[in-house]
Amino acid sequence: MVVAASQTVAGVAPRPRVARRRRANGSARAAWLLLAPFLIGFAVFYVAPIVVALVKSFTAVTRTSTYGRPVEVFAGLGNYTAALGDTGFTGSVGRVLLFGVIQIPVMLGLALVLALALDSAVVRLRRFFRLAFFLPYAVPGVIAAVMWGFFYAPNLSPVNQLLDPLGIHPDLLSGNVILYSIANIVTWTFTGYNMLILYSSLQAIPPQLYEAARLDGASGWTIAWRIKVPIIAPSLVLTGVFSIIGTFQLFTEPQVMAGVSSAVSSSYTPSMAAYAQISAQNHGLGAAMSVLVTLLIAVLSWLFFRITRARAAL
Amino acid sequence: MVRTSPPTKRLRRLGAAAAAAVLALVTAGCGNADSAAPAAGAACAVSGGKVELSFWSWLPGIDQAVALWNQGHPDIHVTVEQTPQGNQGTYNKMFTALKANQAPDLGQVEFDSLPGFRVQQGLRDISACPGVADAKSKFVDWTWAQASVGGDGVFAIPQDTGPMGLFYRKDLFEKYNVPVPTTWDEYAQAAKTLHAADPNLTITHFPQKDVNWFAGLVWQAGGHWFTQDGRQWKVNLTDPASTKVADYWQNLLSQGLVSNYQGFSESWNKALDSGQIATWTGAVWGVGTIAKAAPSTAGKWAVAPLPQWTKGAQRSGNWGGSTTAVFAGTKHPAEAAQFALWLNSDPQALAILTAQGGIYPATTEAQAGAKASPENTQFFGGQDVDAVFREAGKGVSQDFTWGPSMEQTYAHVRDGFGAALAGNGTLGKALTEAGAATITDLQRQSIPVAK
Repeated sequence: MVVAASQTVAGVAPRPRVARRRRANGSARAAWLLLAPFLIGFAVFYVAPIVVALVKSFTAVTRTSTYGRPVEVFAGLGNYTAALGDTGFTGSVGRVLLFGVIQIPVMLGLALVLALALDSAVVRLRRFFRLAFFLPYAVPGVIAAVMWGFFYAPNLSPVNQLLDPLGIHPDLLSGNVILYSIANIVTWTFTGYNMLILYSSLQAIPPQLYEAARLDGASGWTIAWRIKVPIIAPSLVLTGVFSIIGTFQLFTEPQVMAGVSSAVSSSYTPSMAAYAQISAQNHGLGAAMSVLVTLLIAVLSWLFFRITRARAAL
Repeated sequence: MVRTSPPTKRLRRLGAAAAAAVLALVTAGCGNADSAAPAAGAACAVSGGKVELSFWSWLPGIDQAVALWNQGHPDIHVTVEQTPQGNQGTYNKMFTALKANQAPDLGQVEFDSLPGFRVQQGLRDISACPGVADAKSKFVDWTWAQASVGGDGVFAIPQDTGPMGLFYRKDLFEKYNVPVPTTWDEYAQAAKTLHAADPNLTITHFPQKDVNWFAGLVWQAGGHWFTQDGRQWKVNLTDPASTKVADYWQNLLSQGLVSNYQGFSESWNKALDSGQIATWTGAVWGVGTIAKAAPSTAGKWAVAPLPQWTKGAQRSGNWGGSTTAVFAGTKHPAEAAQFALWLNSDPQALAILTAQGGIYPATTEAQAGAKASPENTQFFGGQDVDAVFREAGKGVSQDFTWGPSMEQTYAHVRDGFGAALAGNGTLGKALTEAGAATITDLQRQSIPVAK
């Protein structure tokens, strides 16, 4: 709109002011009209729930007796102090932090290696592998988790049946291992998705760069490390941020694992903790937990951007 | 570059307008939530004319029972929506619908969730509706007591119950020459003997997430987790009976005599089917569960009364059971109550629910005539399993009360049990902590509770 307006200004002789304003108003009206469906949807389905959650997080209920009518009252920061004092909730935040620190580098490293391999001419059947790696992402999360649950359960797993005669009895559902078992499911699901993002930005690199590098005597490894990776760095940052967000929103996989493992508590991840409160009709506390997690995601994503940008500048 | 009208400013103005609209919506929403108020002891008049009722339930075969009702009652038409099991999302959906004044007239609610629904103003008192007061004598006493949540009304009609018994592998007990345990001491002894005879065999599993199973055993032992004293709740998950049950199972766990499977999981099914589990202290509805889970062990199972704490006693606990609750906001409480009464006491309706849904009804008359399906009877080697559970039902004490926020209590106990299974703490410690956490929960909801 701005571009079009400036072109008009530049290309056509000046007109009387009034006429121009009227025309601008007309096009603005049309623009708003066209934008309206989106803006209404945006307000109702995006802004409204956020505002509701924010408002709820500052409320609590009072009642005069057990079965008395609940009255919603302003609770100040009460829900926030309760959330921060809830060891289940704070523990869940620590747990997903640990999860992210380990799982995100592994997953993105794998995705990068696969993307580079697909991009290099060495790999044949490129289209087949691209689809094969991406396929797990197309499997609905619950189904994937249920399937992995079968692999993990010691008395169902074909792997355990093979290992049994050797005297090895791994229990991938036990307390010390379950976090990594869940990380494995998430890695399996999302590596291909991240690979595809990285791969498509690799495809956008002009081949002349490689030709020039080769003329300068660069090896395939040098090209990958010195040219390809730096150029797709913004995509890596993007997948990193997506992964941080995804990690804090972990819900499906641990929720399904809870059905087969006694090591997954009802507040295993922040999302599960908030969901448990909301299920118990404790909306204020659940909302406060959601807001806290959102803030934490925002801070971590911002930090990640800052750090990676500083690196890029070096 | 000249810009005639700064779009950013406008956008901001529009944003503000949108936010205001949203806020208006939010506050409107809050207002609605309060208007659905069920008055206690409310009058209940018959609407007359043609009435439409909606009903949510997850019981298999419920649609057939409703169809039968609709055939015979052209003026009261019921539409049933079949939902997932309550704790698998339906209770959440019900609470949300209640807040939005979109709730159905009736819904399936388990006994342990009734107080929670009443706390959230979700139930309609139907004690004044025609026929309700007279129906009381038809139902097992404790079911009616629990359906009258708090004792000052009737909020639901009991549907089914789950008196507990001992499912056991008759062949294995015979093979290893172990007498069928009649007391918990004998049960612990049997656990040792069986495990010693076959290291792959455990007497049972400890279902960490089935806290209502554990509560059933506490019920049998005479424990009371919740009591309402005047206008205050008393929470005590560690009364002598509860502690006794917790210590008992902790002892079995510490000795490695029970296995760690989640109840109803594929792993548990596999362990049952491959003969690695010798017993299950289940409820009457478990007859179908076990027959389905372990088809290759057909004919090898039998049912005995639950082991006793005192030799010769005949006490049992109850695990599970539902009601048909009448939700606040229904415009036709009298018709809703009439349907709920019919559904849960009419012989024809109960015949459908028993055959299709595998329920064990809540009326004394229907319990007397209850009979497992031919296939299930065959699974238990021709034993009349219902006779055992009928006796068990008589030994269920009348005064067990569920708390006002059972889902949270269950979650706390479950988490503590999980930690105990991983070697952090004990079942007893889990109960202590869950009790304290429940008190905090109730305080947060400003439900009067004794510290």
